[in-house]
Amino acid sequence: MIKYIPNQANLMVMKKTILIIAFICSLWSCSDDDNEAYIPGPMALEVEQPSNFPEIKYALEANTPTDAGFELGKKLFYEGNLSSSGIISCGFCHEQASAFTHHGHTISHGENGLEGFRNTQPIQNLAFFDEFTWDGAAIHLDLQPIIPITAEVEMNETIPSVLEKLENLPEYPQLFEKAFGTTEINSERMLKALSQFMVMMVSANSKYDKVMRQEEGEPFTSLEQTGLTLFKSKCASCHATDLFSDQSYRNNGIPYNPKHIEEKGRQRVSGYESDFYKFRVPSLRNIEMTFPYMHDGRFGTLEAVLNFYSDGMVENGGEVDEQLKKADGSLGIHLNTNEKEAIIAFLKTLTDNEFLNDKRFAEF
Amino acid sequence: MLAISILSCSSDDNEEVITGSGSITVEFDNAYLDSDLLLNTSSYNASGTEKIKISKVKYIVSNIKLEDEDGHVYVVPKNESYFIVDESNEDSQMIELSDVPAANYTKITYGLGVDQAKYLEGADGQGDFLTKAQEAGMMWSWQAGYKFFVFEGLYTSDDTTTETAFAYHMGSHGTALDNYKEISMTLANTARVRTDMTPIVHIVADLSNTLMGDTEFKLDDAPQIHVDAVKSPQIATNVSGMFMVHHVHN
Repeated sequence: MIKYIPNQANLMVMKKTILIIAFICSLWSCSDDDNEAYIPGPMALEVEQPSNFPEIKYALEANTPTDAGFELGKKLFYEGNLSSSGIISCGFCHEQASAFTHHGHTISHGENGLEGFRNTQPIQNLAFFDEFTWDGAAIHLDLQPIIPITAEVEMNETIPSVLEKLENLPEYPQLFEKAFGTTEINSERMLKALSQFMVMMVSANSKYDKVMRQEEGEPFTSLEQTGLTLFKSKCASCHATDLFSDQSYRNNGIPYNPKHIEEKGRQRVSGYESDFYKFRVPSLRNIEMTFPYMHDGRFGTLEAVLNFYSDGMVENGGEVDEQLKKADGSLGIHLNTNEKEAIIAFLKTLTDNEFLNDKRFAEF
Repeated sequence: MLAISILSCSSDDNEEVITGSGSITVEFDNAYLDSDLLLNTSSYNASGTEKIKISKVKYIVSNIKLEDEDGHVYVVPKNESYFIVDESNEDSQMIELSDVPAANYTKITYGLGVDQAKYLEGADGQGDFLTKAQEAGMMWSWQAGYKFFVFEGLYTSDDTTTETAFAYHMGSHGTALDNYKEISMTLANTARVRTDMTPIVHIVADLSNTLMGDTEFKLDDAPQIHVDAVKSPQIATNVSGMFMVHHVHN
């Protein structure tokens, strides 16, 4: 009845889990004898490793997801009390139907109506990444939530205050006990639970994935196939692997945005002037649903994005990426109207409706 | 006869048998040049004509190791080895380490800041250090990282005649730049940890080194330094050079 599906990438975790399960089983038989009610311990969950993905980077052995940890993480993800007003939860800006982005918002608004200067990024396949946000300001998934919780323009809270609020909400001590064995609420446990929820969010069942893995389903149309071929020759050097990101930081020649003078891209984190206006290559999964696009959400459609790459790139005060220069040294990617149409048709095959409608991740 | 031989034996070697474990306190005593550092009230000379009043001094001390006279190293368990020293909080300046093997310690090593390995452990094993760091204002809100060193106050100079705020915050820059520093010092005299003896290692930190260490900083040039690929590592070097073991109380 305790099911654990072994995962090749994760033998260590499995061994540990088996030990834990053996221990739990022995406890059970004990309480069975005593004829007492059985309180089940947390059950390990498997993080899906799609065969066409690179290997998981998140250290699962340090924080193995369990059913109870996942449920706590999900509750925290949708908990308004993580913000100072009690209203803005993680899910406020990360809506499932938009692949956990803020539907239609160029820049999201946070507490006190304040706005930041970046577009909300999707939450999906984070177990396969090791740096987070547009500029790499978090170098471990567990630490990432600190940024939105404490940023004045987002949730405007502090970790100590959040923990105090959780302690005073009747349901939380019990949920922490279920997940971690005692009712203690601390930052380590809160962040671990949020990570357990997030690492389970794997989007790998788009039409593209099924075609790649030769599973049952619709084949590519000829337009989509053409788009894939074009994508591979013109886009995939940066949007690499089946995560569609090489996880590097690049300046793509996007015109400087005078509305947000505090924006320096990766330079804000690294301090290097050469990193000015460099942003992390975003994954393109569910890209159809995550509009608007770019770090500041300036482009409303995929057509606008491709028009930018063909005709809109400029020098922006930083070092524009070499990959985006033509043979004659000018900026941009050669794309005609038909090619753009085909690439967009292909990009839409990355929409994963199973993920977008997965009840496990839904608020209600 | 046996008793005599044992007695003579130990008396020959003139050594006590050291067993068990005890505690040791590491005291961080902030100073400015030859004076005790006082927040807000005192004015101190900095570079050139600059005079500063300091309002905040906070830094993270971590990964403490003690080496005894035989070269054995005791490493404080990593998850219990992160501390915030805060000039405005006296308790924070006395770091008490318990369960330390009894020995005669001659050397101390510790880190200034948070090492990359700790970051890469994520939330695992950090307990409530993150909460403490945030309470102490030692976390940035725009990046998921710790401020290793915070030095703030007001300054004046010949060019800046009205009191102007300065703030130096130093930490690592994601994976791009590691500003964690390790400091190793020989103790002025041996720290004798015993089951019934708790020595105090008295370390003086001369904060004047921040602006006038290996690299000289003029507040008139840059009163605010937070993330700077050139200056942040220089601040890290200056600050890691500010410590000296004054003496050990046994």
